[in-house]
Amino acid sequence: MNSLMYDTYTVFWRELKRYKKSRSGVLIRLIQPAIWIIVIGNTFSGTQPLIQSVGFEGEYIEFMAPGVIILTAIFTSIFGGVNTLWDRRYGFMNKALTSPISRSSIALGKMSAISLISAMQASLIVGIALAIGVSFPNPLMIAPIMAIVVLFSLGFSGISVIVAATAKSQETFWGVINFLGMPLFMLSPALFPLELLPDWLATVAKLNPVTYTVLLVREMMTGVSEGGIPALLSIGIITAFVLVMIGLASYVFTREVNKPF
Amino acid sequence: MYSVETRSLSKTFGAVKAVNDISFAVESGEIFGFLGPNGAGKSTTIMILTTLLKPTSGQALVSRFDVMTHAKQVRQSIGYVQQESTVDEYLSGRENLLLQARLNHIPKDQINKRIDEILELIELTDKQNDSVVTYSGGMRKRLDIAGGLLHHPKVLFLDEPTVGLDIQTRRKIWEYIKKIHKEFNMTIFLTTHYMEEADQLCDRIGIIDHGQIQIIDTPENMKNAMGNEVISLKFESKNPDDFLSQLHKIEYIKKINKDNDKLTIFTSNGTQVIPEIFKISSILEIKIISISLTQPTLDDVFISYTGWEMRDDDAGFNRKREHAKMKRLRA
Repeated sequence: MNSLMYDTYTVFWRELKRYKKSRSGVLIRLIQPAIWIIVIGNTFSGTQPLIQSVGFEGEYIEFMAPGVIILTAIFTSIFGGVNTLWDRRYGFMNKALTSPISRSSIALGKMSAISLISAMQASLIVGIALAIGVSFPNPLMIAPIMAIVVLFSLGFSGISVIVAATAKSQETFWGVINFLGMPLFMLSPALFPLELLPDWLATVAKLNPVTYTVLLVREMMTGVSEGGIPALLSIGIITAFVLVMIGLASYVFTREVNKPF
Repeated sequence: MYSVETRSLSKTFGAVKAVNDISFAVESGEIFGFLGPNGAGKSTTIMILTTLLKPTSGQALVSRFDVMTHAKQVRQSIGYVQQESTVDEYLSGRENLLLQARLNHIPKDQINKRIDEILELIELTDKQNDSVVTYSGGMRKRLDIAGGLLHHPKVLFLDEPTVGLDIQTRRKIWEYIKKIHKEFNMTIFLTTHYMEEADQLCDRIGIIDHGQIQIIDTPENMKNAMGNEVISLKFESKNPDDFLSQLHKIEYIKKINKDNDKLTIFTSNGTQVIPEIFKISSILEIKIISISLTQPTLDDVFISYTGWEMRDDDAGFNRKREHAKMKRLRA
């Protein structure tokens, strides 16, 4: 157990070093969520009465800002596993696999690094939101929000690592990831209140861990609880999702990397 | 004691027998060269020995641990330097070694000392804090090798250690390999398809082709077994028959072909035969215009065991299947 943590930290350290030294990517990855929050936030500003009908007082942009924070987390973490493919192609993976560290620590180290990177990206979006005038009733909430983002991203990076370990090519990876990422975002109350979704969509959304994360973060930011889902239930569901993903990612990764690439 | 041992080791991919029933043993402390043309089974064998692939049948022992049942112990005993550079380009040289040290569980209090030592050995102390992006191919290779050595493995696997490097760098890498072998006295298992490299470095060589070991011996024995050295000689004399009959008395000479003023002499121990020839010629007052000695090279040995055919165009192979196999093997 002790050595699993040490090994996980080793891989985590390497991933973060690599991230730190490829800084150009940081800003590029911010462009898309920035466009979302600025363009979509203003495009749908006329829906304010609808938002208010379910108990929100502020503007639409304040309603959807948590959605964009989660959007950033989803995409940063679900794309994050792609370097697994490079590692397999360029030999780092073989180097790690022929060293005494356990296979699962490679997956877990990558996942924890991705989730931290994801939280850093998300915090930049919080900054952008504040800059364009989104009000933040309780600034003390930023730290717990980031903790939720880290937790949630840990689960999502699991999806990424699983797909990357299973996919034998970049094309397959991107195909699957795009197929998963957008629907998971759309099938959640990120842009529109859960209570106003058509029944069948609301039902689907309730099966999606993104939904609970959005609701939780939105409640933490605006103080308005939505859809009658208590915060503790959301935390429980997110935690369960993350635990399942950790187990699944360790298992699938260990199984897949033992096969020749 | 053997450091690496295989017993009837086989690996099949679908219908392709990449490794076909090979058995060999490498002595502890030996530098063993594994030679073979592209697709002969070298990579598959090395991947089995480094626990990256499971054999289909047979047994492989590394540092006396079975790769199937004691993979973890095998991984603790080996260093593996892959053909392609595997250092992280965005990390510095030192950071790369730190990563390697942690991956191999070197005790925390020894990590810095070991890294300093190894940087000294591969002469990268000055550049240790530069990003590897700025390193030349030779520097990267040295860093790769250093990474494989850091934890003082009992067996070091070097997969094509000098492929793609220029002659000067290649010779330098050979020097480093000899140096580390002397310093740490570990077993080195290296694959190569440069005959000169095998000749320079290896105590013994195994040639593999079509998934099977063709021969294992020392480079010297292999070359000697090839038999004839050839002395080509041009001379001026009014009395060549005397010269010829005297030459025939030299014990190592097996056969002489005469073509006017040119002689082609098939012999062994050519370097000793040449002074004899000069002795005879000076007694008989024969003027030698030119003389040259051709010794068999490891290239000749290699070709004699693996044939002339180029493997990419080998009609016996199913191209598509071969391609699929290589894709799987790529890592």
